[in-house]
Amino acid sequence: MSAPIIEARIALAIARKDAVAELRGRHATVSTLFFAAIVLLLFGFALGPDSARLADAAPGLLWLAVVFAGVLAVNRLHLLETDDGALEQLALYPVPRRAIYAGKALGGVAVMLVLGLVVLGAVGVLFAVDIGSAWAPLLATVVLGAIGIGAVGTFYAAVTVRLRAREVMLPLLMLPVLAPLLLGAVKATAAALAGDPFGELGAWLQLLAAFDVIMIVAGAATYGYLLEDG
Amino acid sequence: MKTRVLGLVAFLTVATTTVIGLLVVPADLNQGDAQRIMYPHVASAWLAYLSFGVTAVAGIGWLWKRDLRMDSVALAGAEIGVMFTFFAIWGGMMWGRPIWGVFWQWEDPRLTTTALLLALYVGYLLLRRLTDDPERRATRAAIVGVVAAVDIPIVHFSVEWWRGLHQTATIASPDRVLDPAAPGIFVLTLLGTVGAFTLTWGYLMIRRYQLAQLSLAREETARLDLLMSVRSAEVAR
Amino acid sequence: MTDAGFVIAAYGVIIGGLGLYVVTLWRRIRAARKGR
Repeated sequence: MSAPIIEARIALAIARKDAVAELRGRHATVSTLFFAAIVLLLFGFALGPDSARLADAAPGLLWLAVVFAGVLAVNRLHLLETDDGALEQLALYPVPRRAIYAGKALGGVAVMLVLGLVVLGAVGVLFAVDIGSAWAPLLATVVLGAIGIGAVGTFYAAVTVRLRAREVMLPLLMLPVLAPLLLGAVKATAAALAGDPFGELGAWLQLLAAFDVIMIVAGAATYGYLLEDG
Repeated sequence: MKTRVLGLVAFLTVATTTVIGLLVVPADLNQGDAQRIMYPHVASAWLAYLSFGVTAVAGIGWLWKRDLRMDSVALAGAEIGVMFTFFAIWGGMMWGRPIWGVFWQWEDPRLTTTALLLALYVGYLLLRRLTDDPERRATRAAIVGVVAAVDIPIVHFSVEWWRGLHQTATIASPDRVLDPAAPGIFVLTLLGTVGAFTLTWGYLMIRRYQLAQLSLAREETARLDLLMSVRSAEVAR
Repeated sequence: MTDAGFVIAAYGVIIGGLGLYVVTLWRRIRAARKGR
């Protein structure tokens, strides 16, 4: 069996383990979804009731809700929170660190994807925007955004895992780094919803993709150091 | 000793360029006296980015060589970098109010990027504060510093796009002072100020590095003292 | 505030801030050397 295949299997095994633990009823994903919904509701109260203004602001509100809820979701990716300490055991073996990172990040991305799609639907309903007509580029944006937040979140979860004041440090470190992703995702969403009048959708999606690639590489490259003595 | 000379030269050049920038150089035809702010503003911005480059590289140096002196350099760069970043933002705002009429302009990519730079490195410094073990602290900081450094070009790029696609009226630009066609005296004053500030930066970096090394030594002593007292308590039993 | 006011505010904080930082650095170094 060649090395990349072994690594992929390890990553998938870790992701599957996390998924099983999640499905077995930690209910964290459900709470995160409800949190996002509440955030959207509050946005409505804060910026409404003018529906034109809310529709205009919808792309921004969507991604703000996703990012804030995402920070909460990422808290669960903390390295040491495996029930049987399997991950710590794994770290003792010469398993390539990027495989561990990939596994944890897969879990993070999956959660963010679910979050993004649900919030997209909610925004469509709450702020009266037609997501059906532009579903393809919107889906692409959500996928790229989810990958970025998941990758970055997994990384900073590992950075802050044994840190004092970690509840505030995680968002404090993560959110500035996510600024370009937020910008790109909001712009792409707005362009998609408007029918891409200036032809800028492609450029924004490329920015998102570039961000994702760079952050994944950075995370994978440094995860080993974090596991060792981070 | 050499550091003291550097400090003195830095002080003299800063004083000189400040006087020139404030009083000697003529005001700009379009932007008036406010344009004078550009000299220390540009200088500060340049040093902010230089400092963070140093922090990122020094962090990589730590990860590679495991020499804590590299981490001290990284710390110096970050603390001094945050200071210059704040100066750059402050200068930008003081310039913006008379020129744009507002303290903040979201369409200015440099201002927004620099604000984000501040956020990234304040986070870096806070992270350092929360870790007591020097080696763990160095590793965490190095990694966060590298990712932050990698993020900056992305931020800058995306904000440029953000601005570019929404070019409404031409906003008065701080770039005028960087225009090669600008009057020679402006360019000279700018270069002089940048040079003076850079000398100051060098002096500050050396001193902050020394302080960091001293603090490390004290931490080490404190830890040894603790160990000794624990041991003697055990022995006494 | 006139333009001059903003210029003073800018230079004041920047140059003044540099000076302040230098002085605090000296103090911290002295304290560290004394083994406080």
